[in-house]
Amino acid sequence: MVSKDSRSPHPRGATWNLRRRIDIESFRGIQAIRPFHLGETDTSRIVELHRRQKETEVRIRVLLLVAVLLLGATRDAQPAGLRPPVKTLTFAVGGAPSELDYWEELLREFTARTGIRVELLRQPTDTSLRRQTLSIALLARERDPDVFLMDVAWLAQFAASGWLAPLDPYLGGDGFSGRDAFFPRILELVDTWRGRTVALPLYVDGGILYYRTDLLRKYGIPGPPATWEQLKEAALKVQRGERRDRPGFYGFVWQGAQYEGLVCDFLEFAGADGGVETVGGQVIVDTPRNRKALRFMRDLIHEYGISPPNTYTEMKEEEARAFFQEGNALFERNWPYAWSLHQSPGSRVKGVTGAAPLPAFEPGRGTACLGGWHVGLSRHGDAAAEGARLIGFLTSLEVQKKLALRLGWNSGRKDVYDDPEVAERLPYHKELREAIERARPRPVVPYYSQLSEILQRRLNAALAGKSSPGEALAAAQREIRDVLSRYD
Amino acid sequence: MSEERRIRILYTVGAAAMSAFCLLPVAYMVLVAASRRPDVFQAGAEVRLTAGHFLEVLGTESLHFPEYVVNGIAVSGLSAILAVALAAPAAYAVTRLELPGRMSFLFLVLAVSMFPPVSLVSYLFRMMSALGWINTYAALVLPYTAWVLPLSLWILASHFSRIPRDLDRAALLDGCGRLAALRKVMVPVAAPGILSTAILAFIFAFNEFLFALLLTTGRNARTIPVGIALFEGLHGEIPWGMIMAAATLAVVPVVLLVLVFQRGIVAGLTRGAVRE
Amino acid sequence: MRKDHDLRDLLKGYAFLAPVCALLLAFVFLPVAGTLLDSLHRDVSFLPRRFIGLGNYRSMGSDPGFWQSLRFTGLFTLVSVPLELALGLAFALLLEHPTSARGFLRAGVLLPWAIPAAVSGRIFELIYNVQYGLANAIVTGIGLSEGPVHWLGTSAGAFLALVAADAWKTTPFVAILLLAGLSAIPEDLYRQAEVDRAGPLERFFRVTLPLLRPVLVVALLFRTIDSLRVFDLVFVLTGGGPGGSTTSLSMYGYRFFVGGDFGYGSAVSVVLFLLAFLFSLLYLRASRFGREIE
Repeated sequence: MVSKDSRSPHPRGATWNLRRRIDIESFRGIQAIRPFHLGETDTSRIVELHRRQKETEVRIRVLLLVAVLLLGATRDAQPAGLRPPVKTLTFAVGGAPSELDYWEELLREFTARTGIRVELLRQPTDTSLRRQTLSIALLARERDPDVFLMDVAWLAQFAASGWLAPLDPYLGGDGFSGRDAFFPRILELVDTWRGRTVALPLYVDGGILYYRTDLLRKYGIPGPPATWEQLKEAALKVQRGERRDRPGFYGFVWQGAQYEGLVCDFLEFAGADGGVETVGGQVIVDTPRNRKALRFMRDLIHEYGISPPNTYTEMKEEEARAFFQEGNALFERNWPYAWSLHQSPGSRVKGVTGAAPLPAFEPGRGTACLGGWHVGLSRHGDAAAEGARLIGFLTSLEVQKKLALRLGWNSGRKDVYDDPEVAERLPYHKELREAIERARPRPVVPYYSQLSEILQRRLNAALAGKSSPGEALAAAQREIRDVLSRYD
Repeated sequence: MSEERRIRILYTVGAAAMSAFCLLPVAYMVLVAASRRPDVFQAGAEVRLTAGHFLEVLGTESLHFPEYVVNGIAVSGLSAILAVALAAPAAYAVTRLELPGRMSFLFLVLAVSMFPPVSLVSYLFRMMSALGWINTYAALVLPYTAWVLPLSLWILASHFSRIPRDLDRAALLDGCGRLAALRKVMVPVAAPGILSTAILAFIFAFNEFLFALLLTTGRNARTIPVGIALFEGLHGEIPWGMIMAAATLAVVPVVLLVLVFQRGIVAGLTRGAVRE
Repeated sequence: MRKDHDLRDLLKGYAFLAPVCALLLAFVFLPVAGTLLDSLHRDVSFLPRRFIGLGNYRSMGSDPGFWQSLRFTGLFTLVSVPLELALGLAFALLLEHPTSARGFLRAGVLLPWAIPAAVSGRIFELIYNVQYGLANAIVTGIGLSEGPVHWLGTSAGAFLALVAADAWKTTPFVAILLLAGLSAIPEDLYRQAEVDRAGPLERFFRVTLPLLRPVLVVALLFRTIDSLRVFDLVFVLTGGGPGGSTTSLSMYGYRFFVGGDFGYGSAVSVVLFLLAFLFSLLYLRASRFGREIE
């Protein structure tokens, strides 16, 4: 007979039969999901085994429960109300992993100098993911991060959403440069919102034209083109000649895939007399000059054949750079970052690459699309004063010069360009400064992402030949008007 | 060839193909995780094994990987336990007590499992921001529990309905209250079902992505799926070796659960979805 | 006497249901209602909140991005669901066959289902990688293509990649569902068919399939609803690209949320909700859920 186990509780006055039945049923059930069978047939043994199993299971479950609860309790993850406020200065930055390593170095230096500890929040490399994770934290009014980097294209939305604390109180103060240290045009155009300075440039970019000095010389072309027409002629001539040895040679590579870069390239093709006008709440895209530019872009691929057919499907920054670096192109439109890569050992175009401002339809009317990353201070952060000191540090002449020399970043400060060391390491800096001073930002409006998405789609469709340039721009204009009606 | 032999051959080939289909990507993941370079299948590549990626993933503090794992296990564990604790009495009430409106209740609960998470997440985000719970366990555990309740309820109800009524009737006749009957009769007998329910709930919560993506912002509460999705690594180009090492480590908990409780999981899934 | 007892039971019963109701109300129904309400407002991070009625929905009508994501979601569902059903049925038949390896096979088949979608997304991201990926190694190895295929760089390639990854991930679930249905078919029906000299194929079409139909319908609707709300895989594998061509409806709504536009994003997710709701109604009717509890 089975002994009544006094350890386990049982219903008050329950009969032995009932308990036994429960045990057998339960055991059968457990057998069904155990990974191995016990093969017991003697019921009394079954009941005994089952009782022991049940106890162990209960113990295991209780242990698990306690462990999990302990885990939950020891994590610094209680609701904000229960969490004691711990002030930390957090700096969120992404980018290439080698850059992140350098950031750690810089931050250590900052801590050594000021005694303020900074926690580096590593963001993904992908720009879009950086924006998403940053937006989520800011939308939720999180205390972290305090200081973060923004692509110049997002600045308007961040500023208009009230996420950026004004930096005016700190400008010119202790350890903080004054406004006049930076390029005034940039500060005015993108860093100022409703009269307040909300960000400072960490580095700035403008599109430039790379060209093969050896090929220009070989075919007797005096210098880089000043107009698009000249570019086309030069490209046709050289392409014809070079194709004999290199069948995959193209005259001009640029970014035409359906992404943000396409908008930048388009603005540069349109030049100073074209582009997107935001006037009095209206956004104007469909202009004769823009149509001319888009037509030219399309013809480069389909009519003159001096740009490869995958321009509108695959060509982004890296694709164009690789193409040029392999020696397969005469001209390349890209950002300044490509320079040092073109001059790196193993590059087929080392020593024979030149950089020039981008041409235009009329001489002297060219522009560069303003790119770059700016640093801002969160309005919801818990370490404003410390964050401001960090921003002052990052935008100081000393650090900006380091970033220029180490990462090849083009400063937003004027004095960096006068530095002899920098001029030596980055010889094309003079052209670059010109480009930056003439650079035009993309529309500085909070709804720029929606604008860009529409333009990307329509421009790419025209490049693919799916619609005519006129149709594409007209359709873009209509769509933009619809979207804007939501934001009035 | 006899029909039996033909079927046998067909079956073996089919089973082999099926296993290859299911296991190949997993094997690939482990192989790349353990290889020095990711180009293991390119012509002429040599495979050199290393544990370096695993060590780097676990050892680099700024990647926060172990914290993501702990968060995932804790959040899912809490959700699973809470879900079962809430679903068991409800399943008991639905199966044993003739409650008017129990059909509409079940209908409502079932409907919940059909909702697209994206239709909830924005308001949940605002709710959690307002409460200050973003990036804490609370922000995930409560929605997860609600999310796995339908499945838990259905599985448990299905188990409870299979237990012979006279078992708990006998207990009641002996003077037990309803809650006691639940605890002393239903739970022990349905223990395997409860366990599989908890495991399924754990797996669903552990693998959930959208809520974790929007309701967590950092190492405090971020879970594995988001950690892996945003994983970028430390040096050079996309570090596939490290990503795969992180992925391998990330799936260890669920793989173990599946291997050990395979029968229970299958039983639970079918009970929860198929009504005979 | 008996009435008191019943009343007490009733109250206890509702008390048992109360916590579940409270949790679902607070964290499921309230958010859905809130989202619905949000969709009727212009709610953007850089503008004050304002009631605009059906304004968001009107904008959606002329929004090419919305229609593109709707088309993609529809096409994705149309292609992947039948594929997964067919494959799942094949798997289920294999899994039902009694052998000693059955446990091992089942565990193996469950693995893709158990692995988080985000993780499997990254595995497939590597598989489709232009330089290192397994897919290109296979395709160039057996000579299907001369050079490496840029899978994730074209919309067609990305679409196929997603379908394949989704099929890998969810076929096990379908297989398990169908397995339950298969096990429910009484043995003697097969015996009888054998007696009638029916070959294995005939047995399949005359016995298995008809009896499997209710389960197939259930699996079909389940998978359809799941396909409509796909997010994880799309986010990790293609990010919605290239050029937005593989953006599912969920992903489209999400993009607006992180862009600060809660109103419009909510409207998109309400449309998805209605679509899923439509199919869930069909599912509930098809599964005749009431019967089991009786």
